[in-house]
This record gives sequence, structure tokens and C-alpha cells, in this order.
Amino acid sequence: MRWLKEVFLNFKRSGFMSMISIGTITITIATLGGYFIFNESIAYFETKVENKVEITAFLNEGGEALSTETLINEIKLMPETAEVLYFSKDAAYAEFTKDEESKQVIDSLGENPLPASIVVKLKTYTQKGVEDMAKNLRAKPQVEEVQYGAKEVENLINIINVIKIITFVTGLIFIIASVLVVSNVINLTVYARRQDIYIMQLVGATRSFIRMPFILEGVIHGFLGGLAGWGVVYLITNIMLTQIKKETGIDLSGFYIVGANYFVTKFLLAALGAGTALGFIGSIFSQGNPPK
Amino acid sequence: MIKFNRVFKVYEKNIKALDDINIEIAKGEFVFLAGPSGAGKSTILKLLYREEIPTMGTIFIDNKEITHLNEHKMALYRRSMGFVFQDFKLLFDRTVFENIALPLVITGISEAYTKRRVAEMIEKKGLKGKEKLNPWQLSCGEKQRVAIARAVITSPPVILADEPTGNLDEESAWELMKWFLELSGKGTTIIFATHNRNIMEKYGKRIIRLKEGKVVEV
Repeated sequence: MRWLKEVFLNFKRSGFMSMISIGTITITIATLGGYFIFNESIAYFETKVENKVEITAFLNEGGEALSTETLINEIKLMPETAEVLYFSKDAAYAEFTKDEESKQVIDSLGENPLPASIVVKLKTYTQKGVEDMAKNLRAKPQVEEVQYGAKEVENLINIINVIKIITFVTGLIFIIASVLVVSNVINLTVYARRQDIYIMQLVGATRSFIRMPFILEGVIHGFLGGLAGWGVVYLITNIMLTQIKKETGIDLSGFYIVGANYFVTKFLLAALGAGTALGFIGSIFSQGNPPK
Repeated sequence: MIKFNRVFKVYEKNIKALDDINIEIAKGEFVFLAGPSGAGKSTILKLLYREEIPTMGTIFIDNKEITHLNEHKMALYRRSMGFVFQDFKLLFDRTVFENIALPLVITGISEAYTKRRVAEMIEKKGLKGKEKLNPWQLSCGEKQRVAIARAVITSPPVILADEPTGNLDEESAWELMKWFLELSGKGTTIIFATHNRNIMEKYGKRIIRLKEGKVVEV
């Protein structure tokens, strides 16, 4: 109770400095929170994209049914294969002619020009894995042509990785900045209150009695900064969701990470925990050593 | 008993504040430390409350050497003393009540006892009705009354006073002396640094005179 009173007094005495300290933690938590949400979303969409990476092998015209079956079995036996799907000429025709316009074009040719194909999905996605599989398939006599979209996906993933690194480094810089700002604000408070601290020491106050309010001050700065940081991320996320829905019609509110359950429980607790920890570390790092 | 044994204090640039001090002060004694400014009165008090440590020599209080106390023991040691200074050394953003209560608060004594004891002191020192005021709202005499109430609230066995009447008018100064004598009568050791001859002469207590860091009369 006494310590809380001391903290309140310090807020009153040096409100502006306290606001700077809280503000820095707010920015840190908002950056880290943003990084986390971005990371989670990217990971989620990355899986979706990766799952869509397929290698399609178009087969030679007139290939024997037996040799196609042999090819499928060979591919299935490869350790990196997750799934092999066979599309006959008829299946390709059925798929392609779902659209009336395409049907008219195909039908005008008089015969079905579409080749039979095999679609291969891999267990784990790497560009090298996709290329190796494509090379393997090309070497098969039954295969006419191989197509895959790995390069584009790889480029996208590379861009995402660069953004992730930038956000992570920014977050890291803000972590260091908050610890320094909190500790400096507390140092300034200690300096401003050196006469009071001296008097307390004179009447026999121990080091912990004197330091505890300053540590508590750091913790409270951290807690408030964490709360505000969470608020900022919450606000920005909601604005972005509304904007995405408005611009693209895609409703992402069902995505677990922006769902109310996750956002107002786990994510809020994490933001408060991280903010409090930053404030605590900052206050511990502060000199906090009153004059002897 | 307080004992200074061959105590020297030399500051930077070879400034000699105390030069071979050998004094003894008995338990319950009222002693004046006299001498002009710079004679070493305040340095003796600072050594006693451990704001300074001697350059050489030893200081004993009740046969315990106090020069090598660690930070925690020093804090506990200071609780056995009361301090009254010329500049009051009050916490200016705390109320009269909070200032007087400080020595009890830092020892973790119950709030109920603290309230009762501070109320007693406020009554005794004529500060009733001023509990909620801050020191800057008080006169010098009242500030010093708050300081002395804070000094004696834990009934410490030793009171150190550094020119406590320096900022007071005559009436307040005599009133303060009355309280010191009352405390002395109850067995509290009082070491009172002053250069006020009137005060020293009036009470006929032992005077330790200092000049340029040396004891010239015990």
C-alpha cells in the first residue's frame, strides 16, 4: 500500500517522464504484437499456399494404361510423395468444360486435345524437393511435360521472410529501447528524489525499502504500456480487417488469431506479461542506487 | 557509551576536518559540541550517523565498532538514533503526519500503533490541526517541532542535533531546548552541535570545544 502510494506520488511528480516510459513500452508491445500477428498469419497462409503447390506431369498421347499405372506406383513409392492423383483425358475434358465457353472451343476441335495427367503433392515443401521431383518425372518416358509453380511461391516466401526479419529486428530494437528508457526514467526519478532518499536513509530505511517503490513503478509502467500496446494492435487489426473486407470482400474475422477469444484472452495476457517484464527489467537495470 | 579513539578525517585535497579526536560521552549525557564554523562539529555528527567514515581511528558505541557496518546494518544502526538538523530535513511533499510517522513506517510497525503514536507526538509538540499540512505550509519553529517529533517517535537512546536552533527565533529555540532537556532527563544521550553561546552557558552541560578539527576543551 505504501509502495503504491509512493508510485502514485512519483507519477504526480514526474508525469511526463512516466508517460515517455509507458509510451515506449506501448510502442514495443505494439511492434512485437504486430510481429506476432503478422508471423502467425503468414505461417497460416504459407501452409495454405504450400498445400497448393502441385507438380503436374502431362502424359504422352496414347500411353499404355499399364505403363501409366506403373508410373503412378513408382511415384507413390518415392519417400517425398504425399499424394498422387491421376486425371484421364476424359477427366481433364470434364474439368475443362465446366465453363460453357471453354466447352464450345474444345468441342469445335472435333476431338479431345487435353492430355491425361498426374498431379503429385509432396510431404514437405522445399523448392529443391519440387525441382528434384520435376526432374524425376521429366525423365520418365511416359511424361511429355512437367509444370509447377514453385518459383513464384518461393519468391513470395522470400519477401515474407524479409518482412519477418525487419519486424523482428525492429521489435528487438524496441525491446532494448524500452529497457533503457524505463531504467533512465527511474534513474531520473531517483536523481530528482535524492534528497528524500537521503532523509529516508538517515532515519534508517533499508535499501529494499527505498528501491521497492521504484521497481514497482517500473512494473506499473510496463503493465500500462502492455495494456496500451495491446490496445494499439487491437485497433489497427480491426481497422485492417474492416478495410480488407471492404476492399476485397474477404472476411477474416473467423481467423483464430483475430478472433475475440484469442485476442482478449491469450494475446492480452501475453501483452501484459511482456510489458510488465520489460518494466521490471528496466527498473532492475536502473541504477536505483540512492546516494550513500 | 560513545567513544572516539584517535579519529582523523581528511577530505580530498588534504583538507583536515578532524585531527586526532579522542572523546568519550557517557550514556544519558547531554553534551554540547561547540566551535566556530569549520571546527569539525558536523563532521563528528556525520561520523556518528555514518554518513562519513573516519580516515583513521575507531568509533565505538556501546563497545561496538561502527566504522565497518555494511549497508543493511548501517540502516538498522541509524534506527537507534534521532536526528534534528538546522535545515529540518523534512520530506516536503509529505504531510506533517507522514513525516513524523516515517521512522515507524520504515520499521514496519503496525498502522494502528503508528497512528496512535503520531497522534500523541502531534498533541505533545503542539501541532494539532496541522497533521495534513505539508512542511512548506509551516513556520520554521513548527518545522523544527515536526523534526523533533520525528526524531523522538521511536524513543531512540541517542539524539544527534546539528545546529537545531540555527533557523529559529529565540522563543522557538528555548522551547526546543526545553524538549531536549526533558529527553535528557529521561536518559537519552544528546549530542548537540551549536555555536550559540547563550544556549551553552544557560544549561551548564559539558561542552566539547573544537577548533580547526582538534578538541581544545573536553
